Amino acid sequence: MNQIVSIGTSHHIAPIEFREKLAFSEAQIIESLQHFRESDQVQEAVILSTCNRVEVYAVANAVRNADAAAKILVEFLSRYHQIGVESLKKWTYLHHNLETIRHLFRVTASLDSMVVGESQILGQVKTAYDASREAGGAGTILNRLFTKAFSVGKRIRSETTIAAGAVSISYAAVELAKKIFNTLEGKTVAIVGAGEMSELTAKHLVSNGVSNVIVANRTYERAVKVAEKFNGTPLAYDNDLSFLIDADIVISSTNAPDYLIKRRPLADVMRKRKHRYMFLIDIAVPRDIEPDVSKIDHAFLYNIDDLEAVVASNLKDRQQEATRAEQIVTEEAKRFYDQLQIFQVNPTIKALHQQFREVAATELQACFYKTTLSDQQEAAIASMTQAIVKKLLHHPMQNLRCAVNDGNADHGQYVQALQELFALDVNDDNSEL
Amino acid sequence: MINFLFLVTLLIYLAASIFQTLSLAISSRTEAAVIRPTIERIAFWGTGIGFAFLTLFIALWWLQQGHFPMTHWTDSTAFFAWAITLIYLIIVRLTHLRALGSFVMPVAFIAILISYSFATHTAALPEPLRNYWLLAHTTLIFLAYAAFIAAFGFGLMYLMTERKIRKKTDALLDNLLPSLGTSDGLGYRCTILGVILLTMGVIVGSLWTQYIRDVPWRWLDAKVISTFVTWFIYVAQIGLRQFWGWHGRRAAYTAIIGFVAVLCTYVGVDLFLDSMHTYR
Repeated sequence: MNQIVSIGTSHHIAPIEFREKLAFSEAQIIESLQHFRESDQVQEAVILSTCNRVEVYAVANAVRNADAAAKILVEFLSRYHQIGVESLKKWTYLHHNLETIRHLFRVTASLDSMVVGESQILGQVKTAYDASREAGGAGTILNRLFTKAFSVGKRIRSETTIAAGAVSISYAAVELAKKIFNTLEGKTVAIVGAGEMSELTAKHLVSNGVSNVIVANRTYERAVKVAEKFNGTPLAYDNDLSFLIDADIVISSTNAPDYLIKRRPLADVMRKRKHRYMFLIDIAVPRDIEPDVSKIDHAFLYNIDDLEAVVASNLKDRQQEATRAEQIVTEEAKRFYDQLQIFQVNPTIKALHQQFREVAATELQACFYKTTLSDQQEAAIASMTQAIVKKLLHHPMQNLRCAVNDGNADHGQYVQALQELFALDVNDDNSEL
Repeated sequence: MINFLFLVTLLIYLAASIFQTLSLAISSRTEAAVIRPTIERIAFWGTGIGFAFLTLFIALWWLQQGHFPMTHWTDSTAFFAWAITLIYLIIVRLTHLRALGSFVMPVAFIAILISYSFATHTAALPEPLRNYWLLAHTTLIFLAYAAFIAAFGFGLMYLMTERKIRKKTDALLDNLLPSLGTSDGLGYRCTILGVILLTMGVIVGSLWTQYIRDVPWRWLDAKVISTFVTWFIYVAQIGLRQFWGWHGRRAAYTAIIGFVAVLCTYVGVDLFLDSMHTYR
């Protein structure tokens, strides 16, 4: 019987030092898949190697049970990466059959990620799967399994909101801006000071429709340098806030020790811009914008702590959604596993039926050849033979299907016994999968 | 039987109002994803069916009385609710902003409740008033009221969203209410629509007086004065916005003040002052 096993490590259980030792480069993945193919111990494999996790999914059919299949993987990793079996046991997790399926579904749905609901992992799993398919690693069972994993991931994304809500400061700023302005098209963002975070936020805003960028800096040269990245307008400021009259969104991150934007001057600015909304983001520590600014009508101020609180509350919300997503995973994994079991015994059932029918047909032909019966008599005998075949096969087939449906682990042995006792030629490529 | 059906309409409106408000009360994303679609569906279908029933009733009364039914509180408030629902449905059709229903549907429900409590009353309409002037005049005025009530709803939506943004932590948790800019802009459009309709209604009304000599016309009629006050509030809001940038928060407050003025004009004047416009 086919055993689906996986071994892996992730940021949840292992430190970076171990994960990097276990990591596979693209070339190593191809090499390893080739090794599996040649060794004949493992029929199918997919290797997923990202910065947060390294996982090997494999299907083995020439083994007694899942533990034996797992042992093959442990030995392989130990040999390939020169890691002691003891430390492998300590820093990796092993999954068998149903648990493997469940684990892959969880990973693909981003339930096992550092940030639950992040979207990268789906692409990473897809890449790993494609690479393996090209290298001849994934066969019928893993094809089926991974395709299902992608559709489960998609279902979870559409039925839950684990991927909703900004979980980074810069995205939170964009979402807040969307709560204030009815559209970001045609809006102007002013970056005051410089810094990675403010540039990243401005970048997200621009890709969401903001069309004008003003970059203000104490030194004009630095402003020019940043402005070039956004095709924006550079300017040097000196305590004069009049450049904010055109700014709908202000991102401030200077090193100034005191407040740069104070309530009174900003109130003037707001009057001059006819009280159109202004969204101020203060990511500087110490702060650049006087907190009282938020008392001005239509001026909305968020500092770094506020943004972090928004992110934290979104993360909490995702955690709640994750519980629902886990239910979907469990239910889908169980269903997939059951289907897989049935598909795995189908070739044997088919072969047995065929054998019985062939024997009956041959014997009938021999019998008809020797005797002279009327057409009616021949037809009667033929249908009686069919009935006998059907009745003889009824109980074994029913019991086999029952064993599968009950999740009875013995059905593997049943299948093996049937194949051996009746000398069935079951080509194990599961072509009907 | 007819009375019973009217009670059904009333209950449908009650259900639609409750479900609309419930949908607004949802604060977590999980609940929003799980139950909001159902709640919204019930609320929206409730609104649609209630509106259809109400239309039938108004048509029925029209046939019974032989003229546009606008003689008593029964007819008047039912028509008021009808106008509110119509404007709401048009706005949903154009903007897909169902959240507005949470604010306007309860108003429509209360109107029908008043209508129901007067259900057995009828009043005879004086002969000179039975004509299409009545239809044009009251329809325009009531649609204007409905537009103002929609503007009021957008004003409340604006204030709720603003409060959330200022409160910070859960500013992003709910995605039902539109952005400040959207609420403000739509509220403004509703206000303009309301002013246009009200102006037309008043003009039609004053032309109408030229044709009826039997009913004495008084400029100092309480309803007329109150209507002018209401009209002035909204026109002032539009002017202040155009020239002084009075939008957003201030516009939202003005929409609430305007709503109170509308209620005073419609209900208050009748109850406490003498007017030739009374429904009795």
